[in-house]
Amino acid sequence: MYPSKKLFACLLVLCGVFFATASFGASLKVAIVESLSGPQASTGLLYRTATQYGLDLVNEKGGWNGQPIELLEYDNQGGVTGASEKVKAAIADGAQIIVQGASSAVGGQVTEDVRKHNLRNPGKEVIYMNVGAEAMELTGAKAHFHQFRFSPNAEIRVKALIAAMKEADVLGSRVYAMNQNYSWGMDVEKAVVENADDGGYKVVEKTLHDTNKIQDFSPYVAKIKAADVDTVITGNWSNDLLLLMKAAQSAGLDVRFGTAFLDQPGNIANAGETALGHYVAHPFNMEAAGKAGEEFGKEYKAKTGHYPTYVEPQTVFAMNMLGEALKNVKAEGDSLKVNDLVVAMEKVKYKSPMGEMSMRSEDHQVLLPVAVSVVSKDAKFKVDGTDMGFKPVKVLSAEEAAAPVQEATNIKRPK
Amino acid sequence: MKVSRLVLYVAVAVAILVVLPAFLSHSLVNAVNQMLIAALFACAFNILCGQGGMLSFGHSAYFAIGSFATLHAMGVMSSESLLPTPLLPLAGALVGLMVGLVAGWFSTQRTGVYFSMITLALAELLHTIAPHLRGLFGGEAGISSMRMPALGITFGSDIHVYYLTLAWVVAAVGAMYFLTFTPLGRLIFALRENTHRLRFLGYNVHNLGTITFALSAMFSGIAGGLQAITIETSNYSAFEMHLSAEVLLNAYIGGVQVFFGPLIGAGVMTFFGNAVSDMTRNWLLYKGIIFVLVMMFMPTGIAGLLKLLGESFRKYSLPLLVPALLLSVVSTILLTMGTVFTVEMMQRGLSQDYQMLARAAGSAGPPPILLFGREWFPGSLITWLLSLGLLVGGGFFVWFSRSRWKMLKETDEDESVLLPKLGDGSGKAGLNKRENV
Amino acid sequence: MEYFTISLFNGVVYGLLLFMVSAGLTLIFGMMGVLNFAHASFYMVGAYLAYSLQKIFGFWPAIVLAALLVGILGMVVEAFFLRRVHRYGHAHELLLTFGLAFIIAELVKLFYGNYPLNYRVPDALNFAAFQVFGTDYPVYRLLMGGISIGMFILIYLLLTRTRVGIVVRSAIYRPRMAEALGHNVPLVFMGVFGVGAALAGLAGAVAGAFYTTNPNMALELGVIVFVVVVVGGLGSLEGAMLASLLIGLISSFAVGIDLSLIDFFGLFGAREWAESVGGVLALKISSLSATIPFALMLLILLVRPSGLMGEKS
Repeated sequence: MYPSKKLFACLLVLCGVFFATASFGASLKVAIVESLSGPQASTGLLYRTATQYGLDLVNEKGGWNGQPIELLEYDNQGGVTGASEKVKAAIADGAQIIVQGASSAVGGQVTEDVRKHNLRNPGKEVIYMNVGAEAMELTGAKAHFHQFRFSPNAEIRVKALIAAMKEADVLGSRVYAMNQNYSWGMDVEKAVVENADDGGYKVVEKTLHDTNKIQDFSPYVAKIKAADVDTVITGNWSNDLLLLMKAAQSAGLDVRFGTAFLDQPGNIANAGETALGHYVAHPFNMEAAGKAGEEFGKEYKAKTGHYPTYVEPQTVFAMNMLGEALKNVKAEGDSLKVNDLVVAMEKVKYKSPMGEMSMRSEDHQVLLPVAVSVVSKDAKFKVDGTDMGFKPVKVLSAEEAAAPVQEATNIKRPK
Repeated sequence: MKVSRLVLYVAVAVAILVVLPAFLSHSLVNAVNQMLIAALFACAFNILCGQGGMLSFGHSAYFAIGSFATLHAMGVMSSESLLPTPLLPLAGALVGLMVGLVAGWFSTQRTGVYFSMITLALAELLHTIAPHLRGLFGGEAGISSMRMPALGITFGSDIHVYYLTLAWVVAAVGAMYFLTFTPLGRLIFALRENTHRLRFLGYNVHNLGTITFALSAMFSGIAGGLQAITIETSNYSAFEMHLSAEVLLNAYIGGVQVFFGPLIGAGVMTFFGNAVSDMTRNWLLYKGIIFVLVMMFMPTGIAGLLKLLGESFRKYSLPLLVPALLLSVVSTILLTMGTVFTVEMMQRGLSQDYQMLARAAGSAGPPPILLFGREWFPGSLITWLLSLGLLVGGGFFVWFSRSRWKMLKETDEDESVLLPKLGDGSGKAGLNKRENV
Repeated sequence: MEYFTISLFNGVVYGLLLFMVSAGLTLIFGMMGVLNFAHASFYMVGAYLAYSLQKIFGFWPAIVLAALLVGILGMVVEAFFLRRVHRYGHAHELLLTFGLAFIIAELVKLFYGNYPLNYRVPDALNFAAFQVFGTDYPVYRLLMGGISIGMFILIYLLLTRTRVGIVVRSAIYRPRMAEALGHNVPLVFMGVFGVGAALAGLAGAVAGAFYTTNPNMALELGVIVFVVVVVGGLGSLEGAMLASLLIGLISSFAVGIDLSLIDFFGLFGAREWAESVGGVLALKISSLSATIPFALMLLILLVRPSGLMGEKS
């Protein structure tokens, strides 16, 4: 039935790829291993769109070694098992760079797989480009020479949120940390506590709740109410964020939310007016980025049908940084020398529409400008087909937003 | 029985699997590795489900426990391994057996749907608690380890892992097959067929159920251990409900009434997922459609279909049989093409981004959609006529082939033998025997 | 006191919502012995249909229409899918509903995309009914609770006071006997399946506006409805009501309890020992609010498998 027919098609394609590549010299393959189906597909597909777009930009400028960079797509089927299998498949198919972003659990798996592969196959290393898994440990205890993170992390986001909200005088002195009970949520909670002195607030209470399992957030809103706070800082994403905000609104609770992922597509449409006045720290805001940002946004929209949002900008920037780094890496013999690329990446200074970005060599965490925005009807660009958008409040430069290298980080450099 | 023939088949299959890596690319070897693990898991599951007649909804738990146990035996965060690499799945087996004994003792207190619900509750309990127990399960990031060289083999390459998996799967499946001939194996069948009678004969049905459960959990643990060796990590998502559902569906697609059915089902479906998921984002839809079709039209699964084919070849002369077979194949192909084309077209045309682009294009009309290397216009009649034509054509051939099969059967006096004895076979395994309660 | 009152309100309303979804499931199980894994999918379809219809017909008519359409969908599923598979045994029926759940989820994504929709409570209904200790209590929550209670009363009366109800109940207990007495049992099955699906659809249409309408709705509700049905007693409507309320209250109250087993051991002076053990003992009840329902289900199954109110064992 399907398998045989698809297999046949697959074989044809494989043959095609084989002949297509056999006739040229060294070329570079980039593999994206994402959740392209199942419940988490919505984010995975955004990463795919943005990676494709970013690589197209690099290819327009000549690709690498005179040839276009090829993008291979793998569906990790939403889980670590699938991811591990597909990373192996990608490496076997000749990919030298693995791109992944959705889910820190999958990110942890990919980075470990890459590390082990590199240990076992010296001379045939591959790179993991983390474009969105934000758990601290990925650039901390789990950091290694061949991984890069191109997205902010919990500390960066919280730091930016607090700085901007304090400056706008909306933070108040009593803060509630409401987060999902897993590493990302814990990281955010930790960052909220650590930033208390800088922000001049008191963390009145902190809660870790089950991830994506709760339908009814009103008990949590009751807790917030009881704590009598001015601001809730939350790293919640997707449904957990929407339900929390909606429950707070319907209880008539007058608090401000500082969030990390309010700009996920569909959120504003679903929350409606409830979202007004809440804050988000994100790596890109079209209005804040001025003319360059607008240009980038328009071009992106012309190709993909929507403005870049949520995880897309950072992914496109990551591909651009890759393109910059590749400029300084020459083909050696038949292929790219990955270790050279890593070194080149550490030296890249890339000017995104938001400002200058670079890769920190100590932990391979990108240093990037972060915008803090508020949901408002005055925003220049509306989102989700509503009359609301993200109005920039403050832009922190890469240095301002940077968080210190973690103690656990220990990248061993090859000799 | 034609044991000698069976031995021949199995020997050929194993021989093929042994030489396979020489002909396949690395990624395909990995895919076969996954197929083997899934096959072993489905086979282990089938001890309980097909042979013992107990439908477990939470079998991923024992698979996951096996893989966590194996990882701990491999040495988490330290280089010390408790066992040499090739023997690591023993840890999975042992812990699987022990947990299976406990869980089985509880679950087999009840029968039918209550049994299923207990297994579901146990698995969900583990799933919700596991991420909180960082020491054991490593939080949501899971735990990871590394295969160590042993017996002069590095176990660094996928090929080494493949042969290790193959050896274990062959051994474990062999053991399970042997089990069906032992007195215990016969008693497990009896558990499915008639517990009352078993009780009359003086057997302790509850203990027997517990042992069956534990054996199934043990072999699942081996499968989990092999998985752990392959991917060198595990995290709490391995407890997820949908993995339990997957093994259940795999077993049924292969056919639970035949020992080798689940092996085939799991192998085929794993390969399907592996190959198709990279090609289309709608593969879960196709998977769902396959499930529904198999349940409705192929209730004995792939094994039943193969059996039916075998019988047909013995019964009917080729000139009669070949046209009917051809018609069936043609109808399947046409319907498949029609469905795939329609779904893919719709998915692309209905996607929000395409709608935006179409709106942006304005009077120029919606842009073409690239599919199967060609450009299609969603506004044009031809596109939809093609998909309709394929579906209607397929439907016509289904009708045609059905009448052909009917004709065939009419030529046969003893048609009852040929009809797949569905009601009979699975009726006995009727898992929620309401009449009995 | 404040916390208690608010939690009580929240728990009851959430429980009532759970009841709306599980009422149909328990009826279907009681009658046909089928664990319908597609039931939560009906809930999701209800929300999506209501979203589409409200643009044309307005909020209330859309909700009613959505429930009706989902009911028809349920009947189609019963008549053309489940009935065909019935003779192969329960496992096949169950797996069929599994496959259908897959298909429905993917089709929803195909037509509506991957992101949450802007299906919201209409402004006319978006106000506070009253205040409890300074917290607004939204009128829509009361409405959801009211609909659920109304539904319960209606079905209860239908089942116990009408002729149709008698036939349905007899078909639940002794399907063959009911058939022998000349009742059209397949029709009854189809009807009950349709009504069950419609109830789930209604719940989805009502709750989708209050919570979120997204392609993972069915998954999020997931197994909790099975927990309700099992705890209440398979096939028992009153049991489902009781279990829904129980689980609603548990998940509402558990959130505020920061106790762990360590505190329990502390009562006996073994706190230090318990702290050194850590692991399970250190887990706070508040972080386990999703776990408790499953523990409850396990307990019920082992101690009293017929559930709180079930009659059949």
